[in-house]
Amino acid sequence: MIRFILVQNRQGKTRLSKWYVPFDDEEKVRLRGEVHRLIAPRDQKWQSNFVEFRNYKIVYRRYAGLFFCLCVDANDNELAYLEAIHLFVEILDAFFQNVCELDLVFNFYKAYAILDEIFLAGEIEETSKAVILERLDYLDRLE
Amino acid sequence: MPFCSQFIANIRAARVGEAERLAINKEMANIRTKFASPNLSAYDRKKYVAKIAFCFIMGYKQDLGHMEAIQLLTAQKYSEKQIGYLAVTLMLTENSDLLRLVVNSIKKDLDDRWDVVNCLALHTIANIGGDEMAEALAPDVHKLMISPTSNNFVKKKAALALLRVYRKYPQVVPAQEWALRIISLMDDGDLGVVVAIASLVLTLAQDFPEAYETAYEKAADRLHKLVIGRNYDTRLYDYYKIPSPWLQVKLLKLLQYYPPPEDTAVRRMVEQVLATLLEMQEIPRSVQHNNALHAVLFEAINTIIHIDARSMLATQSAHLLGRFLSSKETNVRYLALNTMAHLAARAETLDPIKKHQNTIIMSLRDKDISVRRRALDLLYSMCDVDNAQVIVGELLNYLKIADYGLREEMVLKIAICCEKFATEYKWYVDTILELISAAGDYVGDEVWYRVIQIVTNTEDLQAYAAHTCFNYLKSPTCHESLVKIAGYILGEYGHLIANEAGCSPYEQFQALHAKSNFCNANTRALILTTYIKWVNVFPEIKPQLMTVFDRYRHVLDSELQQRACEYLAMAERPEDDDLLQTVWDEMPPFPERESALMNRLSKKHGDTGDRRTWIVGGKEAMKDAQVTRMKSLKRVTTNGTPTSSPARNRPHGAATGVPNGTTDIMAALAGLDMSGGPSVNGDHTPVLRNPDIDAKYQKLLYSDSGILYDDVQFTVSIKSDYRMSHGRMRIFFHSKLPTPLDALTTTIKSAEHDHLTFDIRQIPSTTVESAGHTMLEVEFECKEFFTQPPTLHVSFLTGSLTTLGLRLPVVIHKFFEPIQLEPQDFYMRWQKIGGPPREAQVFFPIVLNKRGDVDTLGQQAIVTGARIRCLEGVDPNLVNTVGAGVIYTSATGKAGFLVRIEPSRDEKKCRLTVRCTSDAFAPSLMEYIRGLLTAK
Repeated sequence: MIRFILVQNRQGKTRLSKWYVPFDDEEKVRLRGEVHRLIAPRDQKWQSNFVEFRNYKIVYRRYAGLFFCLCVDANDNELAYLEAIHLFVEILDAFFQNVCELDLVFNFYKAYAILDEIFLAGEIEETSKAVILERLDYLDRLE
Repeated sequence: MPFCSQFIANIRAARVGEAERLAINKEMANIRTKFASPNLSAYDRKKYVAKIAFCFIMGYKQDLGHMEAIQLLTAQKYSEKQIGYLAVTLMLTENSDLLRLVVNSIKKDLDDRWDVVNCLALHTIANIGGDEMAEALAPDVHKLMISPTSNNFVKKKAALALLRVYRKYPQVVPAQEWALRIISLMDDGDLGVVVAIASLVLTLAQDFPEAYETAYEKAADRLHKLVIGRNYDTRLYDYYKIPSPWLQVKLLKLLQYYPPPEDTAVRRMVEQVLATLLEMQEIPRSVQHNNALHAVLFEAINTIIHIDARSMLATQSAHLLGRFLSSKETNVRYLALNTMAHLAARAETLDPIKKHQNTIIMSLRDKDISVRRRALDLLYSMCDVDNAQVIVGELLNYLKIADYGLREEMVLKIAICCEKFATEYKWYVDTILELISAAGDYVGDEVWYRVIQIVTNTEDLQAYAAHTCFNYLKSPTCHESLVKIAGYILGEYGHLIANEAGCSPYEQFQALHAKSNFCNANTRALILTTYIKWVNVFPEIKPQLMTVFDRYRHVLDSELQQRACEYLAMAERPEDDDLLQTVWDEMPPFPERESALMNRLSKKHGDTGDRRTWIVGGKEAMKDAQVTRMKSLKRVTTNGTPTSSPARNRPHGAATGVPNGTTDIMAALAGLDMSGGPSVNGDHTPVLRNPDIDAKYQKLLYSDSGILYDDVQFTVSIKSDYRMSHGRMRIFFHSKLPTPLDALTTTIKSAEHDHLTFDIRQIPSTTVESAGHTMLEVEFECKEFFTQPPTLHVSFLTGSLTTLGLRLPVVIHKFFEPIQLEPQDFYMRWQKIGGPPREAQVFFPIVLNKRGDVDTLGQQAIVTGARIRCLEGVDPNLVNTVGAGVIYTSATGKAGFLVRIEPSRDEKKCRLTVRCTSDAFAPSLMEYIRGLLTAK
């Protein structure tokens, strides 16, 4: 299962965080810092998208200036989660029409709503981009 | 324009952290006054709560707005509710007291008719649900999940919310009772629902493997439809041309929690799927396509290894993995190494892996630490007696330049390999001491304790060890751990080498003493003990040693001081006193104990939501797990006695982030142990009995085809034929409903699963069209005499779940064959078989027919129906019946038997005699035939 999801920029500012396991606030701050320091210096070309972290592993991918990180169990399927990140990014991109970091900042509540349509309770909830986008459109039109 | 963007822009404008904090504080003060005012509009409330939520995301914890957020939950507008729920999930954790206030709002929203509102409530449970929510809301969540009126979004979210609830508080989820209903959702037409349900089932199946056994068949069927049939909405669920890779991975993982399938139909499906996946070597069109392809491929290989590491598919996989080891893609190399470690843990022989030994050793120098780690794991797993020297040598070389983060683990692994696979003592001692001298600070205490244990227990090793230690001591630098080992070993075994040149007691003392000055108090204490041992064996250096003790009497460290005083006093005792000798005699061997190194290493396996199905460390590490793993799920009876395995009922803490060590891993694996005998599960629907069903069953006992069950919705009919100890039965399910019938699930249980075995040759399709039908084909094999008919359990969805349990008319006489005998043959055989033990006889009361006669015709009909030939002209008394037949069993062989039934009208009694060529069958046959004759 996914322990937590972090979206951070290159400076280490967290743009989106979702915790599926309860951590207290200090621990969350620590985790954000540790993950950033672990991921940011890694080479994109020569190094894998997976790195061990404590007893778990981080599956991550960098899109422009943003790192999308999933912390998953040691025995989870790495590539499946890596592609789950891509699915998430594709959906953000389609929803915000060419997503950028600022979209996540200004529309933070929408970003969280999108996340809840793809991942829930630390598992993947829906894998169809079309189904999710249609639902998001429907929700967006509600007031 | 999104709302509260001005505020966000202001905060972003603040360049320094301090300014940012100021801006936030200012706004929070403003919000506080706004909240205090009585006429706060709903829009404003939403806006301010959103601002507070934003601050939370930025990492500024605020202690206001909780109540306003909770108020928003009761709002009518979606946007307000949404912000309210977002704020609640951000601000509260599962342990907050305020959560109590939220539970009621959530409950109301779960009951709402609008699915959007249901979803918001379910999100909250799935995100922050704790014990309290679990207890109050689990039934509502379950209801939403199974309700036919719930839309797909609600179903998906409810399934995952239920998963969260189960992980937090398993007691509130009657997982076994709900098993059938939950599994039936795996047949849902919407793949999104199936993805979510698969996660739930995967978790529950680990805890209740028996209750969720049918999920295996469903997973196999679904995979077959995805991979081979491509029977799904490709427009929605293809991801870069791959059928939902996530679902495939989940389902393949599910297969790995069960032993290989016994039924031909399921096995064939699984094999077909795996073979297809293995051969799917398309040229990748994009990174995504490539990743998705490999995600499924590696999971398929894991499944193949799990099912049978010796199969053709496994050989093919090993070959493929070998190729991946030198892939250009780092991700693929990483996964290949990892999957090979799985293979090493399962395979009979390590040869296919050893072929790639050099490539794997090269991977230790990969540019990525993740790959290096996997290479280390694999080398550790593939190490055996043959290659230990090479692998350990390479690891030692690499250790000197390895990442600091990796060294401690490396040291442990080298030490373990060294100990396990050493063929000569010299090599062991050399290597382990070299290891300690190279890794120094990364050597845990366990490592040197273990060395001393081994040296003490191995006499041949002692002199050599003493010699080597001494050489290390003489070198200019020597790590403290080495000093400790040397101190201990020379103290115990220094005398063994004292006669060699350059190793005199005085030289030993000098070498050790020179190092002691650079050591900490602990080590010095150990060295003092060495000295007192020397006082015992080397009287010639006693004066020097006494000086040392005397000096240590004045050191500040109380431990050292005390030792020095005690040792000095002991050394000063008169020569003829044997106290010194008794106390400092050579240490006895240690009792054989488990290596602490292994424990230390297995602590590294973290907690995982899904249990591990294998662990790094090759076959050795798997051994304990192996005992419980491969035991197949026994096909159990419906009327078994309840047993509860403690492992299965243990609170499911693993998923909550509580670290669990080895013991938990073992306990977790123990949960797979099915040897506890039959147990009662929620999924076994009780067998339905009523006069109509009984009559149909009775009729089928004497005929090979007919109707087994019939009601307004549904008919079950069978066709069967038997040949010797084998029988084939086709069971047809006819739907009479105007709408299609969904999620048809069938299970067959044999009460005496060792005596009557079965193999499902074809499983029915999960959906039956209106007025359509589907077929289940099963082969029975009578291994030994059995008395209980197997049962068929059917469930299907027609809005709600219908379940049905039926007896199948498979009884022992189906495996009889009638034999025609001439009277004289009959008598000859009757005589030849003779009396007990090959004869069994009984008297039983009979009921006369209306005319007051014995119903001989009826008895003869029963005997004939039971595939026993009624012989005419054998018995002169026409009331009597005689018959002959053969019984076929595949394990205990075939046997001929003769039957004689002698009813008496006057006594209303009947004598039944059975003579059988095998005394094992005679009593059972007699009992069985009596049962037939007296049945109503």
